[in-house]
Amino acid sequence: MSSLSATSATPESAEPWGADQSPSRLLAPDDYREILNQLFLARYFDVRLIKEKKRGHLRGTLYSSHNQEAVLVGALFGLEPKDWISPIHRDMPAFFLKDAKRGWRNPERIGMSIQEVCAQIWGKAASPGRARDNWSHIGSRKKRIVHSTSMLASTVPVAAGIAYSERLRGSNAIVLTFNGEGSTARGDFHEGLNFAAVHKLPMVSVIENNMWAYGTPLELGCPTPFVAERAKGYGIPGLVADGQDVFDVYDKVKWCVDYARAGNGPTVVECRTYRAYGHGDHDDDRASKYRSPEEVAEGRRRDPIAICKERLVELGILTRDEADQFQPEGKSASEVRDEDFPPDVVAYVREGVQFAIRSPYPDAEEAAWWVFHEEGEPQP
Amino acid sequence: MSIASEPVVVGAKRNYLQALNEALHEEMESNPDMICLGEDIGLLGGAFGVTEGLLARFGSDRVIDTPISESLIVGAAVGMALEGRTVMVEMQFMDFISCGFDQIVNNLATFHYRSAGEVNMPVVIRGPAGAYGGGALYHSQMNEAWFCHSPGLKVVCPSRPYDAKGLLKAALRDGNPVVFFEIKELYRRRELEEAVPGPDEIVPIGKAAVRREGRDVTLISYGQNIYHCLAAAEKLQSEGIDAEVLDLRTLVPLDEEAIWESLAKTNRVVVVNEAPRTCGFAGEVLARIAEKGFEYLDAPPARVTRLDTPVPWVKPLESYVLPDVEKVAAACRKVCRY
Repeated sequence: MSSLSATSATPESAEPWGADQSPSRLLAPDDYREILNQLFLARYFDVRLIKEKKRGHLRGTLYSSHNQEAVLVGALFGLEPKDWISPIHRDMPAFFLKDAKRGWRNPERIGMSIQEVCAQIWGKAASPGRARDNWSHIGSRKKRIVHSTSMLASTVPVAAGIAYSERLRGSNAIVLTFNGEGSTARGDFHEGLNFAAVHKLPMVSVIENNMWAYGTPLELGCPTPFVAERAKGYGIPGLVADGQDVFDVYDKVKWCVDYARAGNGPTVVECRTYRAYGHGDHDDDRASKYRSPEEVAEGRRRDPIAICKERLVELGILTRDEADQFQPEGKSASEVRDEDFPPDVVAYVREGVQFAIRSPYPDAEEAAWWVFHEEGEPQP
Repeated sequence: MSIASEPVVVGAKRNYLQALNEALHEEMESNPDMICLGEDIGLLGGAFGVTEGLLARFGSDRVIDTPISESLIVGAAVGMALEGRTVMVEMQFMDFISCGFDQIVNNLATFHYRSAGEVNMPVVIRGPAGAYGGGALYHSQMNEAWFCHSPGLKVVCPSRPYDAKGLLKAALRDGNPVVFFEIKELYRRRELEEAVPGPDEIVPIGKAAVRREGRDVTLISYGQNIYHCLAAAEKLQSEGIDAEVLDLRTLVPLDEEAIWESLAKTNRVVVVNEAPRTCGFAGEVLARIAEKGFEYLDAPPARVTRLDTPVPWVKPLESYVLPDVEKVAAACRKVCRY
């Protein structure tokens, strides 16, 4: 069965920076607290959606990000507002976590609001894509978020094009792509990375290796134990991060972001984690056919929220009592309650959900709009 | 050919390939946000020379020799357009477009729709297409129907230098993705040389053109087969059949008005298309005529297409499966004698 060790030593997992020079050392105490709060937020958002879905309030498939939140939060926290991201199906929180450190409710930040994201999930007209495609298939040129398709890794060539175009304008914005380990087998992943490496494009490929591509384990999709080794073929750095440790993800992705911004070219960061539930909610029951309970328990043993808290206590940023105040870690969606989360996290998600519920659906006739760009077309 | 070093002479005669080259030079000059992507388009100037001179004139930042990666090429074009560029993508042969198919039909074509109008995709995918040259299975295809069947793409196929230049310029200014089928067998035909549109002129997308006036039967076609239709019309003239030839020029959006105008006059129709028969564009034209133009018809409509086979290599085999002048003429006789 899949290797669950997130910290196995490989040449690539060594810190590329010198002793005591990890990027996270430059974070302020408030940043550390914000990172923990973002983990709470990502977890609560996912839990809330699972509950809404079970109540029959949502259409389509929910791809839970439970247990993988450190990858999203850690990867996004080191970006600048001008940077582009391309989230995929399991990255729903990324849409509102982008640039969230400038204030979750700050209308000036270059990320989506919780209202926009919830309107999309509820299929309402206030969605950035007016609910034309489902769930994670939204984006925004203004917010610098790439609109993805279901053909995973198809965002990698797109990211390369953006990176090329940005650089040609003299910008030092970078493009960060998210992919699962499964889609790193696709031609688009390799074609995109190859082009990015040839042109030294400012691009960071973050691989969320949760060990399972739907029902297919890592070893049936990748011939090497580490997906990051694919980078060798392109002569670019391939790092391995502990995907349960938000600060390890932050450090390694931030190093790659700085490397790209300095003009050194693309990188791959494999964040090793584990998928908590089925591929999608439709797969929750069937997943037990292909994954043993022992394997799942082991994969979920190291909850990213718990690991983050430990670090904050170690650093003296939180007292043990403060760290223990809210305890969603280790609990599944059915077990966890609102009281397990900071009140502002609950309030923020509620603002989005209530907005979405109140919002109207798009008019049916919109279905025929915007097939082509035309003079005088309706403006969204 | 070295168009780039020649002074531009307005009104000078150009062949089909020179007309395309001139369009690219003019649009690159007038639109500093335009980028060209493709295999061998820079140093070599394109496998056929359509992009000749662009690298020397506009530099390697804007004229990119890509790896052999059609999916990357289209995907990168999508990214560049998302960032605000106009992109010309060359497929070295339109046969190879299948390697970029997902990026075209699922990403590029649907982007404006998915983004609810936020993002335009001014991306033109152009390249040499068509048979009759012994190119065999993978250098002969007319696969335009794949793209006509994918909402969000405009599909264009010029048959002469004037249209090649004017339509390519229009495509690059359209703001929508356009799949642009060039007919490689026409690239260097001397007898087609003609004056082409000037730097500020275009040929509008979505307008058909009557190539030959006639009263008895309308031949509807595009691309290479226009010349089979014209030759068949000459042949039929001596038999007392006066054929009109309508060049669609654009398949999506289709100029239906031009079809009704012609059918109102001739009341008979033959659609000619070198693509395979089943689900080919000829079938779409006939379906629309059956739905909306039935009252115009005095005889059952007909189509002349390639057989439902790949395009084989050697001449006897290739000729056997493709439309030719005699097959077109025979279809007209049948329709006119009904």
